[in-house]
Amino acid sequence: MDSAFYREQILEHARHPRNSGRLDPADARAAVTNALCGDELEVTLNLSRGSIRELRFLVRGCSIAQASASMLSELLAGVELARLGELGRAFRAMMQDGAVLPPALATLAPLAAVRQHRSRVRCALLPWEALEACVAPPEPVSTSKVQKRHP
Amino acid sequence: MTRPPLDVERIRRDFPILRRMIDGQPLAYLDNAATTQKPRAVIESLVKFYERHNANVHRGVHTLAEEASALYEEARSKVARFIGAAPEEIVFTRGTTQAINLAARAWGSRNLRPGDEVLLTAMEHHSNIVPWQLVAAETGATLRYVPVTDGGELDLAEAERLIGARTRMLAITHASNVLGTVNPVERLIRRAHAQGARVLVDAAQSVLHRRLNVALLDCDFLAFSGHKMLGPMGIGVLYGKRALLDSLEPVEGGGGMVGVVEADRSTWRESPARFEAGTPNVADAVALGAAIDYLLGLDPAGLLAHEADLTARTLAALRELPGVRVFGPPASPGRVGVISFAVEGIHAHDVAQLLDEQGVAVRAGNHCCQPLMRRLGVAATVRASVAPYTTAAEIDRLAAAVTRAQHVFGRG
Repeated sequence: MDSAFYREQILEHARHPRNSGRLDPADARAAVTNALCGDELEVTLNLSRGSIRELRFLVRGCSIAQASASMLSELLAGVELARLGELGRAFRAMMQDGAVLPPALATLAPLAAVRQHRSRVRCALLPWEALEACVAPPEPVSTSKVQKRHP
Repeated sequence: MTRPPLDVERIRRDFPILRRMIDGQPLAYLDNAATTQKPRAVIESLVKFYERHNANVHRGVHTLAEEASALYEEARSKVARFIGAAPEEIVFTRGTTQAINLAARAWGSRNLRPGDEVLLTAMEHHSNIVPWQLVAAETGATLRYVPVTDGGELDLAEAERLIGARTRMLAITHASNVLGTVNPVERLIRRAHAQGARVLVDAAQSVLHRRLNVALLDCDFLAFSGHKMLGPMGIGVLYGKRALLDSLEPVEGGGGMVGVVEADRSTWRESPARFEAGTPNVADAVALGAAIDYLLGLDPAGLLAHEADLTARTLAALRELPGVRVFGPPASPGRVGVISFAVEGIHAHDVAQLLDEQGVAVRAGNHCCQPLMRRLGVAATVRASVAPYTTAAEIDRLAAAVTRAQHVFGRG
């Protein structure tokens, strides 16, 4: 029943995404596209002494991208930018290899249900890609177009 | 009509994969525009080739080499008869994509100059856009596009206007892999020829659903894939008029395509050997021949009627659902059973996944047609597509599964 329960949580976030929209002005912004399906996701951040003060995700995509962004947005307030890399690696390890999530990411556990549909794992990673593009120079990724702007 | 309907249940018994269960439910395979399933005759033909006849072709005198060569050329002859061509006009390729790339490169690099126009349509698959972009960049030619109407058909008045003295090539899909639209290629071919242009027809989506005859069409090139017509993956066909093929330079060099090889130059064999450098995909070519035999063993009128019935049933069932937008022309014969739709408020990938949970296999995405998606104003569509083994009950399951997906998302 886990998967049905998880799916319900994913759907709930997809229907009512938290922190949805765009901060204007914003301290940092990045947009990513999943070329495989055309989904678009934009993150805007406001910072305070090296930590995330507030953030918004604007998602034009499937329920998994929506829910992943929504769940993530709920746990990032106050998180130091320097920790994003480590958290992103931990989330990827869970999505791609089934690793256990660290306590800081425990609320993202429902997304593990996406693992059984490998073609959709990328959808769950999309908000992380945007976030990482926001705080680090984008790496060349053949399937995504990354724009970065620090106003 | 007193004609007996196509015996779909008997056809289904020829396709082992159709017995598969998905999550405890029988598979309803409606992703035929991506690839069709294979009858046992095709699978057995592959096994038989490797178990009894496997050898390289054309360059051996031993028994197996002669058998393999004969089977390979017999497959070429079957393809030729199937589309009304001569065997010399059939080049085996990996599939439609490689066939179009070959035509674009071999013909385009020799015949296109700055100011020349290659005319495409707004409903082309990326594989009939990008090869022309590559050769246009190299030659300075310009790409133009025939627009698509709101009804999902080509704007024919605009097509006739666009086909002009500068047009050197019209490269057009016979049937859209998104909209199902069957284009009036005969009319456009005549028009293009009157202006001195060549015509390439992408028949990837029509080859299963419409009997093709290149002699009647009078196209200069025609491309299709084996795996979308019950044949194996990895084999496809470029048809080219013989004199045209023989006027072109090879694109790939290697064994099998040369006459005399000297230190700094070589001579080419005639078509089609000229375009088949290296060891060809013999087994899959032979199995494509088996697929053609299988298709020719089915009642052609029955196949057409079955496909038209399924298409009408799908269109009617989807149009009845609230919140479902169906793309493309309203009915056969102006379309084939490739039906794209969008469900209001639910992303195409979510729809496809929820359908899969109910055993219904469809495709979701941009279907390698980004320009067309922009024209339709959507990022992605859900696409259901039929084959001779598709049943009316599977179409009913599709409609029921969409309704259930709407309930899951609170949209029903």
